[in-house]
Amino acid sequence: MTWQSALEFARGPLFYGALLFFIAGMLYRLVTVVALGWSKDRVPDKGSKAGGVVRSFLKGILIWPFIPWVKNTFSRNPLIYIGGGLFHLGLFVTILLGTPHMLVWKSLLGFGWPTLPLPVVDWLAVGGIIGMLILLVHRRINPVLRLISGPAEYLAWLVVFVPMVTGYMMTHHLFFRYEVLYTFHMFSVDFLLIWIPLSRISHFMFYFFSRAIHGQQFGKRGVRV
Amino acid sequence: MVATEQGLQTLVHETGGWVASQLEACTRCGMCAEACHFYQATGNPEYAPVWKVEVLRRAYEQRFTPVGRFKSLIGLEKKITDQDLEHWSKLNYYACTVCNKCALVCPMGIDLGSLLHGVRAGLSAAGVVPDELMAAVNKQVEEGSPLGMTDEVWDSRLEWVADEWEEDIPRDVKGADTLVVFSSIEVMKFPTNIAAIAKILNAAGEKWTVSSKAREVVNFGFYEGSEEHTKLFLSRILEGARDLGVKRIVVTECGHAYDALRWHAANWLPEANDFEIIHITGVLGELVSSGRIQLKPGFFDDKGTLTFHDACKIQRKGGHIQEPRDILNILAPNAFKEMTPNREEAICCGGGGGVIAIKDADPIRYAAFELKIDQVNKVGAKTVTMTCSNCRLQFTNSVEHFGLDWKITSLVQMVADAMID
Repeated sequence: MTWQSALEFARGPLFYGALLFFIAGMLYRLVTVVALGWSKDRVPDKGSKAGGVVRSFLKGILIWPFIPWVKNTFSRNPLIYIGGGLFHLGLFVTILLGTPHMLVWKSLLGFGWPTLPLPVVDWLAVGGIIGMLILLVHRRINPVLRLISGPAEYLAWLVVFVPMVTGYMMTHHLFFRYEVLYTFHMFSVDFLLIWIPLSRISHFMFYFFSRAIHGQQFGKRGVRV
Repeated sequence: MVATEQGLQTLVHETGGWVASQLEACTRCGMCAEACHFYQATGNPEYAPVWKVEVLRRAYEQRFTPVGRFKSLIGLEKKITDQDLEHWSKLNYYACTVCNKCALVCPMGIDLGSLLHGVRAGLSAAGVVPDELMAAVNKQVEEGSPLGMTDEVWDSRLEWVADEWEEDIPRDVKGADTLVVFSSIEVMKFPTNIAAIAKILNAAGEKWTVSSKAREVVNFGFYEGSEEHTKLFLSRILEGARDLGVKRIVVTECGHAYDALRWHAANWLPEANDFEIIHITGVLGELVSSGRIQLKPGFFDDKGTLTFHDACKIQRKGGHIQEPRDILNILAPNAFKEMTPNREEAICCGGGGGVIAIKDADPIRYAAFELKIDQVNKVGAKTVTMTCSNCRLQFTNSVEHFGLDWKITSLVQMVADAMID
């Protein structure tokens, strides 16, 4: 088998299979959680639940990643904020606003959108990779994280890290031939897609639940979140 | 093992979609540890909130998720044993006040406080609640109060307060608007609070009463995490209220009792919605802003620097954050100084959640209080006021333990003292 045919497999049938597994797996996760049942809250509100939810999402999307230092716990543990912020920013910008990724979306969805210039995406991707490294080091040195981290946590880290690094190397033609890097990138992306529903990387879906619940809980009590 | 199985069943039963979706959202970033006063004070990683709920997560994963079932099948994740539950009992009852500050720090917004309460439910079903806490619960089941406030004691204490401070305390008045339910901490340890509340309500011309049936607002079943006991104690209050036909129930300066009655009762006992349930701090706010009671401005300004301690269940979880500030800004506009952090981000006293009832938890309880000492010393306050008698108990006890020269008081006390007759 040549690199060319491996690549074709990884970006062809395997990619679509992984994508289907990802979608089905996430739907399964969603349905099983929702089907556990939701009891009705009969307690009268003091403040506004809806207002709380809106503020909760604004805080989650604007404050946490961009101005975390307004939170007083920031000073106690800045690494996790900086690492987590850099990683998520780099990741989302790259996969949504990087031209090659947009083209993948376009082929899947049928429409595209304007993207950011390569150098911008590139630097944010570097930030994302550095963020990942910070998170790994932090996981090894922080006593709480050492306690709560098992093989699953480190594997999840690796599964996310490999596509990022191979993607970056591809863009800059580093160390290996382009097809080799591209093949590795695609295989690792395929594996990531399969691994997401099987691991905590799926947190992005439940994020919308937990932030909404957070907003409701504080909102109904009339406490600003 | 039978008990452990029961505990796990309860944990699983607690795990509706509401809990499951939050457990699934956790990225295991460990940030919640930084919010926990017990972790901050001791540096013990096991006190991280994420680790305290670990037993609930494992029970959920092993029961409900394919990955969890697979992991326990190949031995990657261990089955929960009796020893595990004993261990988590100590983590949860000794080193957690269920103050919910961790929920504010979680980037995913997970409402850790309610998950921690769910853990307690499982531990209580497994019968691994610390002895002293359980003894208090049993006492409340049998005598109506964990602090030995039997019918006779309640009767004589209230009579004594009414005599001593010459305040009318209306009892079992049918058709009154407001039922006031005191906590036994106030009746037994801070009787001046009773006199203060009576003075305030009488001055405001409120048609109020206490009830001999609903005489204890404290709910040790809620600390324990037992739904059965919590409901039993709540229903005593609601029955008393129904018998007297009151419109609203006022919870006095007690934090978890307010949490249970205001934010949970209606989900267990729908009749709770027949009444307006409000904390005395909310009542004070109303009375002052509507002018039904008048305060002497600056009354406490010449008595040294004063600060306000936010109680987790009344401020952060109860929403009565602004009223105490408004009142203190009238009573001591210059002497009143805020601690940092404050309001919903305040540091917990360290004695709530039943922790103060457990002797073996004393060392970590005092360790957590040292954070409070730092905070108070930074503003240079000699008087600390608050709206929760459980916090107040922790403060008075710790002030004695550390030999501090602070004056510990309550907001109702200050309001009663500074009222214009």
